[in-house]
Amino acid sequence: MLHGEASLAWPTPVLLERGEAVSEAEDVGFRRMTLVWVATVLALVVVLGTLGWLMRLTQGNWLTLRPEWFYSLMTLHGLGMFGTWYIATMAAVTYLLSRYVRPSLSASRFVYGLTLVAVSLFVIATLVGRFSPGWYFLYPLPFYSQGVWKPWATAVFFTFVGLLGVAWLIWEVSLLGAIARRWSLPQALGWDVLFGRRSVSDVPLAVHIATVMLVLHLSALLSAVVLLSLYTLEGIGTGIRNDPLLMKNLVFYFGHVTAEVTTNLSFMVVLELLPRLAGRPPFRVNRMFAAAFNVILVLIAVTYLHHLLMDFAQPFWLRVLGQTASYLIPIPAAVVTIFIVLTLIYGSRIRWTLPAVLLYLGVMGVAIDGIGAAFISSTPALQFLFHNTLVAVAHLHLGFVMGVVLINLGFVFQFVKELSRSEESSWTTWAIPVLLAIGGYGLVLMFSLAGVASVPRRYAIYPEELARGVTMARFAIVPLALLTAGALLYLWELVRRWPHAWAASRLSSSEAASS
Amino acid sequence: MDRVTPVLLLEVASAGIVLVFAYVALRSRRAGAVVPSRARRLQVGLLVGLLGFAGLLLAFTFPRAPYPRRAERPDRVVFVVGKQFSFAVSERPITNDSEWQEAVAFGEPVTLAPGELVEFRVTSFDVNHGLSLYDPDHVLIGQVQAMPGYVNRLRFRFTKPGRYEVLCLEYCGHGHPRMRGYFFVK
Repeated sequence: MLHGEASLAWPTPVLLERGEAVSEAEDVGFRRMTLVWVATVLALVVVLGTLGWLMRLTQGNWLTLRPEWFYSLMTLHGLGMFGTWYIATMAAVTYLLSRYVRPSLSASRFVYGLTLVAVSLFVIATLVGRFSPGWYFLYPLPFYSQGVWKPWATAVFFTFVGLLGVAWLIWEVSLLGAIARRWSLPQALGWDVLFGRRSVSDVPLAVHIATVMLVLHLSALLSAVVLLSLYTLEGIGTGIRNDPLLMKNLVFYFGHVTAEVTTNLSFMVVLELLPRLAGRPPFRVNRMFAAAFNVILVLIAVTYLHHLLMDFAQPFWLRVLGQTASYLIPIPAAVVTIFIVLTLIYGSRIRWTLPAVLLYLGVMGVAIDGIGAAFISSTPALQFLFHNTLVAVAHLHLGFVMGVVLINLGFVFQFVKELSRSEESSWTTWAIPVLLAIGGYGLVLMFSLAGVASVPRRYAIYPEELARGVTMARFAIVPLALLTAGALLYLWELVRRWPHAWAASRLSSSEAASS
Repeated sequence: MDRVTPVLLLEVASAGIVLVFAYVALRSRRAGAVVPSRARRLQVGLLVGLLGFAGLLLAFTFPRAPYPRRAERPDRVVFVVGKQFSFAVSERPITNDSEWQEAVAFGEPVTLAPGELVEFRVTSFDVNHGLSLYDPDHVLIGQVQAMPGYVNRLRFRFTKPGRYEVLCLEYCGHGHPRMRGYFFVK
């Protein structure tokens, strides 16, 4: 127990019991690997969050950054945060899956090393090479630098994308392989209950969701491979000119599917962890869950099309399909996952610890973002007014900061808290979520208001006629400061538990229980 | 479409979600569980309600999509070509870089009449750009992507006279915020 904290009966750990499939040594290995991922992710978030501050201060005219620098930082912040939270979620998913199956620890370590190399290349490309085509590097902008970045920076950037793609492929295939060694793929996908006579599967819900999402994400990686190959063929001077509309479809397929998979995998973390915290039995895959996640799998694969609603050259039926799928996709999420979380909490007498509050708030954030994404981002008449304004930035930050990030922070705190065997102080249990919620929603609201006021996204400097963008960027500093305060308080609570958690992670489950 | 009403409706829906979550969190203090049959009825009701609502919303928004209709004939055609970092706006087709340079540097400003149906034929000579229409009060009233190799047709009927600015709405490089074009409605 940490010094100076109230003496409370330590509740039964909900995360640390060892799964049957892994040995004591592997269990220790996965715990340490999870801590290493967590430390790396949080260090990256501190740096990337600071870049967010620099950009808003620049847009508020309180800091002078040359546009070349602004856009390098913007590329690093956007793509960096996007990838970092995917990695954070995958680290949590890997740990939770090791309770049921036996993932490869050596694959996990190799992926970590490869990720570090890839991230270093990304930093070199953006900060040294000033590579700055934005987080989705829309074709053919990487080839049109106007002298800001050199061809070597483009090459380093695409090497980074390739290495990260290989790392993610190894990670996903190794997890799917571990699942396949225990259950068949149709079983893990829930097809035995969906199309067979069984009403409940013996596959845990966490395994089912992970399987659906990882299979889906393999298709995203495939689109990235095609994209990268086409870029390379053009970049090495074969004389091939790529089709901009095809390239746009490929990059948005990859980006959108990855974002949706990140969100659904973070839901898996909630559905695995929250029943344990609420003292309810774990979920099993029944027809309802299997139907919901299989429908989500199909819908995610086509909802990316709503990113191309303002490309009138895109075939009309694809635009109609994109809008329709985007209107439908929140329905299985609302009717099944969000509804189930609410019924789980109702009357549960759950102890509202910091992880429980963060997980619950994260689900609420995803729910709010879901309807916004369906309505504003997928309606052509509204995209006509709001596409590529700061409304789009509001949507991205709402889904990630108030959804995926809160859920991940909830998981991480529970993990570190259990390892360090330390309780929370009651004021931080409430101060951290309150600061994060007011700051986060305030930040999103300022982006939304600016977007409705016609302020475009990705403007390093607002022109005179859009000076309201400067004013709103200045007002946005207040919620940004609250969000930062909440994040720093969270980090402090985590860092002071870290030495105990790190030391305890070396112990086997039985040693940890008796210590 | 009115720009504020949809956002307000969304805020109201978001507030509704917050209230539901707050209510359930408060009800977590009293022991008990949702009766399964009641939960199932609620779930089915939610499913039917949301499907119906999505259907209605699709029926309402499809006809309001800003896409050109085949039956309509534009009164005027305006050619717009984006290139790092300017828009050329012209009543004559622009087919190569020198025509683009001439249109940007020396082209006569395009002047449109209020009420006429204008078709913008929009493309790019380098990277993706975003053609946006900012009215004389600097309010964004419409947009379409400018993509190399493709022509996007945007039709619009202007009512307010004055100078309209064309800003770039797709990030296109370090000069993105200063990329401009313009025309008049008189």
